[in-house]
Amino acid sequence: MITDRTAPVETAALAAEVEGLLTPAEPDGVYRDTRECGGGLLLLGLLLISPPTPRPKTGLR
Amino acid sequence: MAEQTQGAVPLSAVIADAATGVALALQGGGDPYALSRILRQGDPLAAAAVRVLGADALAPYALEHRAVPAGADDEAVVRQTLAAYPPGADASAVSAWSYRGLVEATHAYLPSGAQPWPRPPEAAAEWTGTDPWPRLAHRVSQLAALALPDLAGELAEQLGARTDDLARGFVRAVRRRDWLQAAGVGRWLARLPGVPATLGLDAGLAFVRQMGGGDPRVALHVVAAQRFFGRGW
Amino acid sequence: MSAGRGDPELLDRLVGGSLGWLEKRRDHFRLPPDATTDADPNLTLKPLGELAELTQFIGSAHPLPEVRATAAALFAFAWREAREGELFAELIRGEPYATYPVEIYGAFAQAGLRHPAVEELVLTTTGLRGWRVAREDHTRTLGVLNAERRIGLAQHADFDAAFARTGLGLRPEPWALDRRAAYGLTHDVFHLTDWGRNPRRLSPEAAGYLRLWLPSWLENWLEEQLWDLVGELLAVAACLPGAPYDAAAWQRLAAAQAADGGVPETGAVPRPADPAEDFLACYHSTLVTAFAGTLARIASDEAGAGTGPVPAGDAAVAGRTPCESEAAL
Repeated sequence: MITDRTAPVETAALAAEVEGLLTPAEPDGVYRDTRECGGGLLLLGLLLISPPTPRPKTGLR
Repeated sequence: MAEQTQGAVPLSAVIADAATGVALALQGGGDPYALSRILRQGDPLAAAAVRVLGADALAPYALEHRAVPAGADDEAVVRQTLAAYPPGADASAVSAWSYRGLVEATHAYLPSGAQPWPRPPEAAAEWTGTDPWPRLAHRVSQLAALALPDLAGELAEQLGARTDDLARGFVRAVRRRDWLQAAGVGRWLARLPGVPATLGLDAGLAFVRQMGGGDPRVALHVVAAQRFFGRGW
Repeated sequence: MSAGRGDPELLDRLVGGSLGWLEKRRDHFRLPPDATTDADPNLTLKPLGELAELTQFIGSAHPLPEVRATAAALFAFAWREAREGELFAELIRGEPYATYPVEIYGAFAQAGLRHPAVEELVLTTTGLRGWRVAREDHTRTLGVLNAERRIGLAQHADFDAAFARTGLGLRPEPWALDRRAAYGLTHDVFHLTDWGRNPRRLSPEAAGYLRLWLPSWLENWLEEQLWDLVGELLAVAACLPGAPYDAAAWQRLAAAQAADGGVPETGAVPRPADPAEDFLACYHSTLVTAFAGTLARIASDEAGAGTGPVPAGDAAVAGRTPCESEAAL
């Protein structure tokens, strides 16, 4: 990589940049779940963790 | 990488390149390490990069046969850094500790020439006992470079009382995909005794490297944990 | 987290508000005429089942008589909606191999509410070899086993062996947990402890694992504002020896509770304007909040009375057996 590091550098700005790089703020959390987890938390919920078995439609009676 | 119009390379890119060089040296790859080859003396960004990398800029010198004996040029880069970026009176604890870590590393790894190295300055440590665990873990991750052999012994002792909290911070960081924080805390955990077995630190470090190793500093922390403390794979 | 009395006032406000919300929207739990045929069970039977499961516990175990009375009335309502058990006979005749009618019936059976036809039906359906075929989800298997225990049926599999294959049994790396795995872990605890009634069924290893990592998970899901999971994790914490109390987490959950007492599933989206949709968006988290608050309140009382004290980290166990499930039959 060709790097020209001779450009004049503002010392105070550089010192501030150094401070910032030493103590970066926490980035926002990235939450990405397994895709099969998504879609309808209601299905996962409390009592019935997985959806009940599919049931026959009426009309058979 | 796009060159900037002014010809200046951003500091973060210089740091990333240097971190890559250090990690490579710790892994035993490439030519023997010389700081002044990675960061040239006289480059205005070299001192800034050494200041940010802290003790890690000298980490390869902690290994036998991984670095060429430090020469005058290497020493000059470090002296330039110490002179240009002393922590001010209102500096953050991380800034003060990181500076102290660099000074400690000179004593530990770099035999000085004519002039002795300065004494390591005092840095406040009460936060190791008072920080709530998420803040503690974040702060410790910023001080990952101090997780090196023979450095910051007292700090290590104090953090040893909070391994559970640091481990919690590692879990939180991985779950929110903050790989840099996870790698930094993980590196410290690699150094500390008594890390909870159910954490799965070795697998965790490997996982962080796979997921976040695109950031050279993440890779550096994981490599250091492995090279110096035998954790991770 | 710290052990001790926690904040009983906050817990009482939280539980009272939640039960008030549920009471006011009781009619949304009513089953439609096609509940046993065409209606989506996730929107009909699941809410009613949760109402029964959790109000039965609150109604029998909460320290405050007025809270118990409100919860018990809701539980009685759920039994009436289940047509005093006739619903389950119908469901089982329609879907003899489904587990959920047995699971929901178990919540009533353990409180002594039984239906003769259901008792006979389940003896046959749960005795089939087909009932013992492994299910997709080991956590669900624990739920079925717990229902069998409550009803007094033979266990279709070995509980400990099934537990060993769940998340809590295997204790995964705590950072390698997605949302589904987290729900799985909380439910492993609920099924194992019979919904907090027998916390001493948690092994020291499981309790130690949860004690170590719950703070991290709570932080993550508080940040995601997934209030139902936050509530479940707090409920799990209250099942641990010494019941570590995370004051900040409780305060944030309390802040998520609206003035009407409802707790939304997630803080990421505003509550729906339509009452039926709002009910579906809130009923689950609101029930969980009442449940978790009750468990924490019991622990707080035990700590105050010096009966179940338990410094954090101690393996000692606070006793709590307001309703012994084995006594069901």
